[in-house]
Amino acid sequence: MKMTRREALKAQAVATAATAAGIPFSAEAQNLVTDRDLTELKWSKAPCRFCGTGCSVMVATKDNRVVATHGDAKAEVNRGLNCVKGYFLSKIMYGRDRLTRPLLRKRDGVFAKDGEFEEVSWDEAFDVMAERFKAALAAKGGDGVGMFGSGQWTVWEGYAASKLMKAGFRSNNIDPNARHCMASAVAGFMRTFGIDEPMGCYDDFEHADAFVLWGANMAEMHPILWTRLTDRRLSHPHVQVAVLSTFENRSFGLADIPMVFTPHTDLAILNYIANHIIQTGRVNEDFLRDNVRFLRGQTDIGYGLRPDHPLEVAASHADAAGASEEIDFDTFAEFVSDYTLDYVSELTGVSPSKLEALAELYADPETKVMSLWTMGFNQHTRGVWCNNLVYNIHLLTGKISTPGNSPFSLTGQPSACGTAREVGTFAHRLPADLVVTDPEHRATAERIWKLPEGTVPEKVGAHAVLQNRQLKDGIINAYWVQVNNNMQAAPNMMEETLPGYRNPENFIVVSDAYPTVTCEAADLILPTAMWVEKEGAYGNAERRTQFWHQLVDAPGEARSDLWQLMEFSKRFTTDEVWPAELLDANPEYRGKTLYEVLYENGQVNAYPLDDTSDDYANDEARHFGFYVQKGLFEEYARFGRDHGHDLAPFDRYHEERGLRWPVVDGEETRWRYNRDYDPYVSEDRQIEFYGKPEGRANIFQLPYEPPAESPDDEYPFWLSTGRVLEHWHSGSMTQRVPELHKAVPNALVYMHPLDARELGFNRGSEVRIVSRRGSIRSRVETAGRNRVPRGLIFVPWFDATQLINKVTLDATDPISKQTDFKKCAVRLEAV
Amino acid sequence: MRISNAPLHAALIVVMTAGAALTQTGGGGVATLRGAPLDQNAEAPAMRPQVNTDIRQVRNYPEQPPVIPHAIEGYQVDINANRCLTCHARTRIGDSQAPMVSVTHYVDREGQALAQVSPRRYFCTQCHVPQHPDEPGVENVFIDIDTLLSQEFEGAGD
Amino acid sequence: MWKLIKRIWTAMRRPSAYFSLGFLTLGGFICGILFWGGFNTALEATNTEQFCIGCHEMEANVYADLQTTVHWNNSSGVRAGCPDCHVPHDWVNKIGRKVAASKEVWGWLFGTIDTEEEFEAHRLTMARREWARFRANDSLECRNCHSYEAMDFAEQSQRAADQHERFLATGERTCIDCHAGIAHRLPDMSEQAMGTTPERVAGRLREVSAYHPDRQELDAYLSARQ
Repeated sequence: MKMTRREALKAQAVATAATAAGIPFSAEAQNLVTDRDLTELKWSKAPCRFCGTGCSVMVATKDNRVVATHGDAKAEVNRGLNCVKGYFLSKIMYGRDRLTRPLLRKRDGVFAKDGEFEEVSWDEAFDVMAERFKAALAAKGGDGVGMFGSGQWTVWEGYAASKLMKAGFRSNNIDPNARHCMASAVAGFMRTFGIDEPMGCYDDFEHADAFVLWGANMAEMHPILWTRLTDRRLSHPHVQVAVLSTFENRSFGLADIPMVFTPHTDLAILNYIANHIIQTGRVNEDFLRDNVRFLRGQTDIGYGLRPDHPLEVAASHADAAGASEEIDFDTFAEFVSDYTLDYVSELTGVSPSKLEALAELYADPETKVMSLWTMGFNQHTRGVWCNNLVYNIHLLTGKISTPGNSPFSLTGQPSACGTAREVGTFAHRLPADLVVTDPEHRATAERIWKLPEGTVPEKVGAHAVLQNRQLKDGIINAYWVQVNNNMQAAPNMMEETLPGYRNPENFIVVSDAYPTVTCEAADLILPTAMWVEKEGAYGNAERRTQFWHQLVDAPGEARSDLWQLMEFSKRFTTDEVWPAELLDANPEYRGKTLYEVLYENGQVNAYPLDDTSDDYANDEARHFGFYVQKGLFEEYARFGRDHGHDLAPFDRYHEERGLRWPVVDGEETRWRYNRDYDPYVSEDRQIEFYGKPEGRANIFQLPYEPPAESPDDEYPFWLSTGRVLEHWHSGSMTQRVPELHKAVPNALVYMHPLDARELGFNRGSEVRIVSRRGSIRSRVETAGRNRVPRGLIFVPWFDATQLINKVTLDATDPISKQTDFKKCAVRLEAV
Repeated sequence: MRISNAPLHAALIVVMTAGAALTQTGGGGVATLRGAPLDQNAEAPAMRPQVNTDIRQVRNYPEQPPVIPHAIEGYQVDINANRCLTCHARTRIGDSQAPMVSVTHYVDREGQALAQVSPRRYFCTQCHVPQHPDEPGVENVFIDIDTLLSQEFEGAGD
Repeated sequence: MWKLIKRIWTAMRRPSAYFSLGFLTLGGFICGILFWGGFNTALEATNTEQFCIGCHEMEANVYADLQTTVHWNNSSGVRAGCPDCHVPHDWVNKIGRKVAASKEVWGWLFGTIDTEEEFEAHRLTMARREWARFRANDSLECRNCHSYEAMDFAEQSQRAADQHERFLATGERTCIDCHAGIAHRLPDMSEQAMGTTPERVAGRLREVSAYHPDRQELDAYLSARQ
């Protein structure tokens, strides 16, 4: 960066003066401007840039700048409300340090891994980058390159990236940061229902009689859904709210049944509830007979650590974690009968009366229950099991797919569903729930993409955590990170992530709007357009796809991820990256650029520039000469239409506040698998889980198994990490909004006052948090928004100055490969 | 392992002059909000009390929820009680002289005005947040509409 | 029975035949000290935080509440323990409070409050008892440490200074009217839970929730009034 501290201060002073000038002190300036030409603002809709709730916001622009935002009154999701982050969206693009030119590490005028960042042209950036990618591809094929994307990619960006990697570079080493976020939810859906994403929708909030929050702190992480839940609870006194977590958080403020349980023992609570339902004779037998089958899942499956880790060596089924075999109801009932009230109360530390009250919410046939979860379940070394087990209790009682009866997996990112999951940017996936391991699925993708048979490789690529391990081990050598801050977000930074990025064999490219810590560890930084600086589409947690137009221009030379991906593809020819056999068999693909093969295929470029809106700019369409977003979307939509994932025609989404797929005959679907609402259900069935054979969902027999690392004498505290209301994820946007920064300036260690007293710490003391892997420095908070039990600390991860993931353990769920960021053992030391 | 307590700029200079260390740790110095090389830990900033001046802040745009210009440490806002409303409720502002909860807060999800604050607005701190006297690591150059308009006037005069 | 009393009375009246007056006076004095000291020591032993949190229900609920409040941690390091606020400091009232507290011992013996749920169910009753006591003695236990005369308005926020000048100085309100819930979580303050209490009618209790969350009930109430 060329801007010195002195220059930055000077710029700051000028801007402060300018802001002050806007506040009219003189009598002259107090006159109200009434000229309509001047005061009229252009208001346009856009989904919020932050969480998976998918609120719609109205954005006001004037003179190519965003000047105001507010909650969209016409949007079903939020009906005019935003959370504090959403209300400050206007300011997220205006951090002084926006990246506006590519930056390359150089020494003596050429790229050097140990060089200093220098501004370069896009041409030079792509030249160096292409050279490194070509070298890696030449040496190792697809295994040598990798891409780490995001649930914040727009739908078409994720789709374009997936095509470039899976078909262009013939590598499945592409994974989204959504792996950290809801991979366990995906695996849970696929194992139980065979189709990803919730069957219900947010309308369930207005129908349920009881809400059970399984670890989710919705008051902070899904604030607008929390307003709907609060509205329901307070307006209707019969409604009950149960909140479960390993510490008391803000959501406990609404709890009728508050439960703080010993970390990891949620598995046992879920099995106890199943047992309670069976023991008290409240199983919905008709529902079971028609709609369910029983499976015994594989046990002792390890913890997703490196294969030579003692825990993996000791695990007997780490290699076949997802296996299962069919059993019957009686076997299942017998199995859960071990999860008695006394045993589970003892194991979890929760009183029997509360456990019973919770179980009754599910068992009582008259109570419509909505279960909600996010990271508490998903970031769990048995996260897939947790998902399966919560479906168990909804299936045993038939409380599913009807208004108010809803096991609901929330998501953390604005397009975790729309992009990461539906587009299939995971290492094992293709669009619309297809997978790379299935030859028919690959053939479908190749047919839709108009590519030769055998283009898409069969081998499952490296997932998020494995990518970092492979970077460290020098297996992946050319690596591209887009729309995420994985140096801050990934676990075990000191042992895996940082050594991987700084491995001299590797070339790391990071596309971002701001200079994050991931940028700091990169070799090439690409300045990136964000949010309403481009036309986009996101898909939220209730299957709602939402579009927005480009409302302002990106600063300087910043370009969207879509532009970067497509422009980069022009630098590769099929001859350079595809094997000879493939080209020999399909000579018509010879000598073409990947851009021509992937994006100028007659489909992606099918819609002319004229189709773009007259009222809005579209930098990508103008650059490439066709309506690129529409072409990509319509090609992508072919995967899901008539297959239960139907999307509406492109143009309609610009008119609507989003639509929930499947959109059949122009109508969205609110409750899937239920004939009253879902056109895919057969005529002769009321409920049909059509993702599985015979339309039957699976109830899984799965036990409680202990966590990967528990506190001991040397490391006596549990560490749980997470988010806060005022900041989103790694804080790269919200920490640049002064009001949000000042609301929560830094991460703190939330700990019990008596633990603090015993260790000689006061509120505000500086401490070092130490694990077997690394340490950070932070400050003790014994009051505030969380009340943690003794023996546990909570540290949020938004703060770039306190990288708590130096401390965390890279243990994952062995099935979903999602990291458990909620549990590892640490000790605290005075600084 | 003892981690150096040396001042940040000294640590940065060391890293910038040591090429080998730079390869391993990144260095680079671009991460504006970081405050220390990636493999080191700077002193955690001191916790400071919430701003308690009662001086209202200018909003960036009319739709922005005002930030809270006073400390709210220890305020209970839960299903039992709402501390904020002891001063900001319609019936309380005579005593408290605090701003009344905005009329927008009386409207429910269906757009119907209610006799009381809508339950969907019950948890005040979802939108209204207190402030600390900590300046952000990076300045924000958002320009509000009035400034933009006055710039237009100036531009017109040229 | 009457005979027995008469015999004791006679014995008490008869001058001592064996002990000197000095012995008896001194002995009586020492015994008095021992008795009185013992009583007071025992009394004081029950007047410590450690004694209070000897019961699980106190430790797990109200003591846990206290630990996140300003009476536990603050800039000057002054800490208020349970008896500072809940036991009168002058002797007569202290004894009165101790006698009243025997009810709490009874509750403890018979397990009135064994679980968190039971504690929450009784929280309003117990809180009200304390609020009433504070109001009756003009927040005496608050004033043992905080007196209006000793307040430095320059050190308070403008808002706090204004309120204290307007309501506390005039005696219109007492500390607890505004500061209920400062050391422990408030119980359910909704109108359903609170009911139409005499305090509410008199406008004395500045209950912390002015908010009626139950819309259906409220709408019904309003339409009934029309």
